[in-house]
Formats: sequence, structure tokens, C-alpha cells
Amino acid sequence: MTIKYKTIKEIKQMISQKDISNKEIVEEVYKLIDKNSHLNAFVTLNKDKSIKKAENLDNNPSDSSLAGIPIAQKDLFCTKGIRTTCGSKILDNFIPPYSATVIENLENAGCISVGKTNMDEFAMGSSNETSFFGNVHNPWGENLVPGGSSGGSASAVAAGIVPAASGTDTGGSIRQPASLCGITGIKPTYGRVSRWGMIAFASSLDQAGPMARTAEDCALLLNEMCSHDIKDTTSLDENIPNFEDSINESLKGKKVGVVKDLDLSSLDNDVIGVYESSLQEFVSLGAELVDISLPNLSLSVPTYYVVAPAECSSNLSRFDGVKFGRRSENPKDLEELYIQTRSEGFGDEVKRRILIGSYVLSSGYYDAYYKKAQQVRRLIKKDFDEAFSDVDVIMTPTTRGPAFEIGSKGSDPIQMYLEDLFTISANLAGLPAMSLPNGNIDNKPIGLQIIGNFLDESTILNFGHMYQTKTNWHMFTPEGVKP
Amino acid sequence: MDKKTVTTISYLSRLKIDSEKEHKIVKDLDNIIKFVDQLNGVDTSSIEPLTNPLEKTAKTRKDEVTAKNLKKELLEVAPSANEDYFLVPRVVE
Repeated sequence: MTIKYKTIKEIKQMISQKDISNKEIVEEVYKLIDKNSHLNAFVTLNKDKSIKKAENLDNNPSDSSLAGIPIAQKDLFCTKGIRTTCGSKILDNFIPPYSATVIENLENAGCISVGKTNMDEFAMGSSNETSFFGNVHNPWGENLVPGGSSGGSASAVAAGIVPAASGTDTGGSIRQPASLCGITGIKPTYGRVSRWGMIAFASSLDQAGPMARTAEDCALLLNEMCSHDIKDTTSLDENIPNFEDSINESLKGKKVGVVKDLDLSSLDNDVIGVYESSLQEFVSLGAELVDISLPNLSLSVPTYYVVAPAECSSNLSRFDGVKFGRRSENPKDLEELYIQTRSEGFGDEVKRRILIGSYVLSSGYYDAYYKKAQQVRRLIKKDFDEAFSDVDVIMTPTTRGPAFEIGSKGSDPIQMYLEDLFTISANLAGLPAMSLPNGNIDNKPIGLQIIGNFLDESTILNFGHMYQTKTNWHMFTPEGVKP
Repeated sequence: MDKKTVTTISYLSRLKIDSEKEHKIVKDLDNIIKFVDQLNGVDTSSIEPLTNPLEKTAKTRKDEVTAKNLKKELLEVAPSANEDYFLVPRVVE
């Protein structure tokens, strides 16, 4: 009995039929982590406590929904007593005295947090090349990036080490690595999942979500991750449905918005072919394709690269070497302490974004950049509001192509920023969006993005699950199709 | 974007730029600002800025003390502290 490449649903069944003990599951996870150490997916392991929690479950079986399910946690969530680095040198010694709400929710549901996953520094990157702890490798190819910023989480699930991982998504950081690693991941509606204990990058865009092998597993995880949290003022106090309840609904008569002004000219024919054949699968499932217009979509990336750096420059001002994290050696005065700590502790991409943020927020430029970007942000959201009066979901490719080689984007940051061309708009508008595998190009997976209306994760998961009952792209692994 | 502007914003950000990286940073920031300048072509007169996708006002709650006193735990993770305070280099002579 192995848990490699197994879904949460399958592992739950193995546990309930006593095919495997909780301890055996956790021990296998650590063997798989060892075997896959070349992926560099984990930064810190939580072995002793995980084995202990598994032994307790073996002695006192629990009927919690995710009892005994091993999960990898993105190293952006504070975890009590376990080092939390956010992929940065400035936090390489930080052990939080509390856990993020989402970590508590998952652990209360019985999940075992086996370790913390590598990521782009402060979630700023689309290839996991900005981590202080080194590149993460994609299990689909030695020199391929896993995407980013939740690259370690995506790589660990894709390699079959764990059935589930947590991620966060500010401009595509769950969906883009899910696409490049051939797994399923969903960014919920802004406010669905508490941000308390999540290290902030861009507070009006950040949202945590699950990464797993199937839409059904994402529904199980999301059921537990969502909560109203008084410790986060942007946490929504709305009804949280059981996301599993509607996943088997027929798609008959449901409407899929196809963005007619989407610029596909920069995509390979193979990518367009995969996308178009997925749309036809939904037609054969009974859905109807409807042309919609999102005229301001092409402005998403420039809007994001004003809003996100502005918020990041403000959020990252807390890293000053005074209260936690790394402090530079022997500063001559307080100002030198701040400057040296930050200059030594942050990597190049983080510094670049702080500088852009300081520029667009500085006196004389605020209206021209920050205010302007927020006005365009409203136009982008208005386009979605209008589109969703006609359709149930909107579909686009998740990424411009499959995984690319480490180092291949060169040193021009804008080339990397354009990686998130299709994903960023959902963050700007606060909408839920999922990526799920919908094809292979040269033996590399690629994903389809399904964007839903505000608070309507259920419909996205329904579309995703129905697609996965009809296709087997989610069954593909780097070692072939799952039996 | 020029060297002088970069010097100003790096000071505002409390960051020191290595001299050998300065040229590339000025060039990168210049390219990024030119890239976002395409927003200038959009007519946004009479459009209210959207600061947050949730436009509902945050709900208020009762003013009850819920947080535990974590003074000891928080001071423990500080780079330098005594039993009551975070310590930094002297600022008052």
C-alpha cells in the first residue's frame, strides 16, 4: 500500500478500511520527501510532531473530515513553533509564536502539517527562482521551473509526496504553478479565507487556497480552510456552503463565457489547441459557450504592477530588524540598523518591487500612478460584473505555455511579469478562480483557468469536477498515467 | 527614472543599492515604469478608485479583550531584547 499520487479521497478510504495506519502514511511521506530531495520543495520539516500526531490518531481514531491527511504548508503561513521563512533570508531564523488561522483550521480538521514548502521570496515571482533557499524543480523535468510563487507546494503534490498543499495567490501564485505542475488549485473569493497569520505581500490581493490532485479534493480542503475570522477585518461573514454538495450537478444549460478580446497571438498553436478542445469538452457536458467581452483585460498586468508593489512597499516596511527576523551585525546607529538589515535580508526582486512601490506612492506621483491604477482596477472589475450577468463561469488558458526552463526568462523582469497575464485579473476583481490540468504539450502539463462570480466557488468546483469525470488529464503523473 | 530618483526612493525604502547593481536597477525600474505608463491612455475621469475588492464596510465587533498577553513569547523572537523592551542602538545621547 502506497500513498504516492493518491488523492485525499483515496487516502481517506485507505484509512477507514485500515489498509494503512496513520503512522505508515506519515512515514511514507518522509521517505518520499527524501527520495525527491532534488526537487528542493521543502524548506523545513515537521517530522517528530507529525509522527506523534499520526500515532495519536492510530490510538484514538477521529472522524474529523481530514483526519490523518498529510499536507504541505506554504512557508508563508505562520506556524507556531516551526520556522517560517517566506523564502527570505530576512526571516531565516523566525519561529512564530502563533499559527495562521488557515493552518489552525486545517489542523483542527485533522490534517498533519508535514513541512513547510519553498516559495518565491515573499511570494514575488512566477518561477520559484527568487527563493533564498534555491530553485524548486518541477517533477516533470529536471531543468523545468515549477512556477511560482507556490512552487514548492505544487512540486510536492505533483511528485505524489503529499495529496494536498496550501498555497497563496496574489496574482496567480496558486493557479500558475498548478498549471505548470499538472495539478488542481483554487484561489477563493477575496475574503473567503482568513489572512491572519499569512505574511502579507499585497493585502488587497492576497488570498490563500488549496492545491491538490482533483477539484473534488480542493472542495474538501476549502470546506475546512474557509472561516469568518474576527482577527481579519477583510474576512467575509457570509454563508460558507459545503463545497462538495454541488460538484456532481449537471452542466446542462450552464453558460461558459469565452473572452472574445483575449489576445492569444503570443501563444503557441498547441496551447490554443488544448484550450479550444477543453471548451468543446464542456459543450459535450451540456454547457453552452457564450462570447463575452472584457475590454480592459489587457490592462491587468500594468495595473497590478502599480497596486501590488505599492502595497508591498508598505507591508514590508515591518521588516526592520527590531522585533523579529534577522538583524545586521554591528550597526552604528538605528538608521544603519534598518538600512543594513533590509539591504542584506531582501533579494533583488523584493527590492525592485519595494522601490517601484515607494516611487508610485511618493509625493507628486501618487495620483499619476497609484490612483490611476485603482481607477483602472474598477474598470476591470466592472467588465467582470457585466460579463457575469450573462454567464456562470469564464474560461481562459491559465498560462501562456507549459513549464519553461530555469533561467530561460533572462534578466528582464517584465518577461516574467507577463507570465501572469491570464491570472492577475481575478485578483484585481477579488473573484474566485481555479486551474486544472487540461492537456500535455511535449510531455509537460498545462492548465485551464475557470473564473467564477463573487463567492461562487461551488460552480467552479462543479465545472472542474464534471470535467475530471470525463477526462483523465488530472491522472497524468511524471511517471505516466495513474492506474 | 534616473540615478538621482533611484537614490531618493532607495532612501525612502531604507535600502542601500550596491554600486555595481545600480545601473541595472535604474534600467529595470525605468522599463517597468514605462510599461505601467500605458495606463495613462485610459480615460478614467469620473471613475472612483477601487482600493479593495470588498466594498462593504468592515463590520464592527464588541470591544472585548480577546488577545492573550504574548509579551514573553514575542520578546523571545526579537534579535535583541531585555525582559520588557526591544533593544536597538542608542538614539538619545
